[in-house]
Amino acid sequence: MLARRSVLAGLIATPLVPRPTWARDPIAADPIKVGVIIPLSGGAGRQGQDVSHAVQSMATLINEAGGVLGRPVEILVKDDESTPAIGVAKANELAAAGVAVVLEGWNSPVTLAMQSVLARAGILDITMISKADAILASASNPLAIRLNSANAQDAAIIAKYLGSLSKKARIVFVTENDAYGNGAQQGIEAEFKKAGLDYTIAQTLKFPFAQTDFRVEITSIRDARPDYVISINANEGAGLPAFLQQYAQANVGAPVICTVGTVSPSVIETAGKAANGLHSADIYFPQTEPFASDPENKRFVAQMQKQFKAEPDKFMALGAASLQIWAKAVATAGSLDRKAVAGAIRGQEIPGTIFGTVRFDASGQMQHRHFVFTVKDGKIVVES
Amino acid sequence: MTHPLARLAFAGVLAVLGFLLPRLLGGSSLVYDTLVAIAIFSAMSYGLDVILSDLGEISLVHTAFFATGAYAAAILTVTYGFSAWTALAGAVLAALALALVLGVITLRTREFAFSLVTYAAAVVCMNVASNWDFLGGSDGIVGIPPLDLSIGGIELTAGRSAEFWPFAYLLLLLTLYVVHRFRRSRLGQAALMVHMNPRLATMCGLDGNRIRLQVFLLSAVISAAAGWLYAFQRAYVGTDLFDTYFLVLMLTGVILAGRRILLGPLLGTALLLSQKSFASLGAYGDKLVLGVVLVGVLCLCPKGLASLWPRRRAAAVTDAPANTNPANTNKARFPSPVWERGQG
Repeated sequence: MLARRSVLAGLIATPLVPRPTWARDPIAADPIKVGVIIPLSGGAGRQGQDVSHAVQSMATLINEAGGVLGRPVEILVKDDESTPAIGVAKANELAAAGVAVVLEGWNSPVTLAMQSVLARAGILDITMISKADAILASASNPLAIRLNSANAQDAAIIAKYLGSLSKKARIVFVTENDAYGNGAQQGIEAEFKKAGLDYTIAQTLKFPFAQTDFRVEITSIRDARPDYVISINANEGAGLPAFLQQYAQANVGAPVICTVGTVSPSVIETAGKAANGLHSADIYFPQTEPFASDPENKRFVAQMQKQFKAEPDKFMALGAASLQIWAKAVATAGSLDRKAVAGAIRGQEIPGTIFGTVRFDASGQMQHRHFVFTVKDGKIVVES
Repeated sequence: MTHPLARLAFAGVLAVLGFLLPRLLGGSSLVYDTLVAIAIFSAMSYGLDVILSDLGEISLVHTAFFATGAYAAAILTVTYGFSAWTALAGAVLAALALALVLGVITLRTREFAFSLVTYAAAVVCMNVASNWDFLGGSDGIVGIPPLDLSIGGIELTAGRSAEFWPFAYLLLLLTLYVVHRFRRSRLGQAALMVHMNPRLATMCGLDGNRIRLQVFLLSAVISAAAGWLYAFQRAYVGTDLFDTYFLVLMLTGVILAGRRILLGPLLGTALLLSQKSFASLGAYGDKLVLGVVLVGVLCLCPKGLASLWPRRRAAAVTDAPANTNPANTNKARFPSPVWERGQG
């Protein structure tokens, strides 16, 4: 709503010298509709709402700067309920609403289900967060674009970090049993082998995304006597905080390594003291260099504070950056055409984003620098 | 309207009006999307309806048959490059094979035990699909091509929802016809007798288990055919097809209008999906509406919303002299709605 107000204010204030009626272009005033499909309810509902706020904040910034191709951006947000069938229905709804692009994706299965539908409808589809490798490999969406780091990139950083701690160890995986979780574990195991680490996989415990009671799994972890526990759990609203709390109560002792990007500030807030001591890595910290002094990031952080009284986390930054990168690509392409805009992103370098100058490889994957961190006294302490 | 030709003409007019419904409702993409989903999910629900209404059992494994149809379509077209027709044949055969195995295991159980065993079977199927690379594992199978049922020089293809509508509608009509004929067939009457009066069925020389298995196989094929078309519409299959979302949709669709009503699952599914598409209150609001409606229907009219329909004919059936035909006895318990008049 604030975005619309800003747009209206801009439209009222700009024409100090009114143009004659015949010279006005009615299309120029039409907003460009941008669809956002993300969970707004259920286990990932809170994070999804945060991401949608971040996209709206970026829309406000873009509109204040003149919009896209001279037209304001209007954001249409839909709740996929973390269910692929509902994601498909929402994708169809947005296609019917005439959106120019859809920014989507928290759960990989939902993204995989939606991307074919959007591709058939001729709508550009930018994946904000979902991580499954198949998202960029699908023949049904040859113009796929993803901002969040890929499983392979994440796996390498986890293996590197563990390798710096110990060359020989017993590992237990607690893995979400879906496209994201299984792909992440395979990637990490492959990196262990590549790095020549003498690790024994003492146990792999798989669980469904929605699980919040991990007491049986934690008993199994204790019995396996691991040196490290690797948690692959994207249910940051409920599942991961619950696991951390139950794990701390059981006093197992082995350090927990959470896969890249699964520990948002809301996880630490919900898990409380149980989050202390966990290790992970991520790609964005708003108050840490090189982001803290970046003017685009500072503008975005300030807008989030002003509009939603919130400090952005990685997911919010990815959401906002998706819109920002699309807007820059449209400006470069000079049109909203799906292929032209995708061509201005895939395999290209784009400066002036929240993440600084970003580079996409030919498959549409954005490249990242990872930062390892530990949670101490409820705060994220970046190590490298 | 008792003359067969008059009823046929009435059904024909209804079928034509149904086909034109998207255009009558404005022809927007949203209308087409919603109606295609209603047609496919209704067809899926009829598989369960046959079990629930005619065998009196609550099957919780029908998501597996739906998924089997979808997976067969995906594997045969994506992995092996077969046509959509071959995929349909494969979907039917795969569903029959699975139903045969599950039927032999589950159909000796009754009521609560049957539901539990079928639920366990569904969980096993989901875990197999999640962990077997041949079925795409947890990634599922992506890249299903657009539907192509072209025959000779006749092009029959569909990619978008508006193009899918004729196929989804035809599937729905075929399903309605099959269920209608089934209920008038000897198998349908026998199934009802086995359900309503198993002792009498045995005395009449009917093999209850064999009849239950045959009905189970039929119901599996119906749900699998819906899954086959859904795979082409969605272009992706994954383990979410086993989710409770589809099970709840099926169960609610069948229960909402009432059991053993030909158009019941269609009306129930249409109510649910239309509310989500055109009058959504958000995820939590929609679930609340669904819960309230379900509780209301089950408490206030346990035979479904159709039982609120004027009961002249039902009263006539109930007032009729005692009838020794078990099928007719059953009709007195489950009053037929107007659109099934003259049956049996």
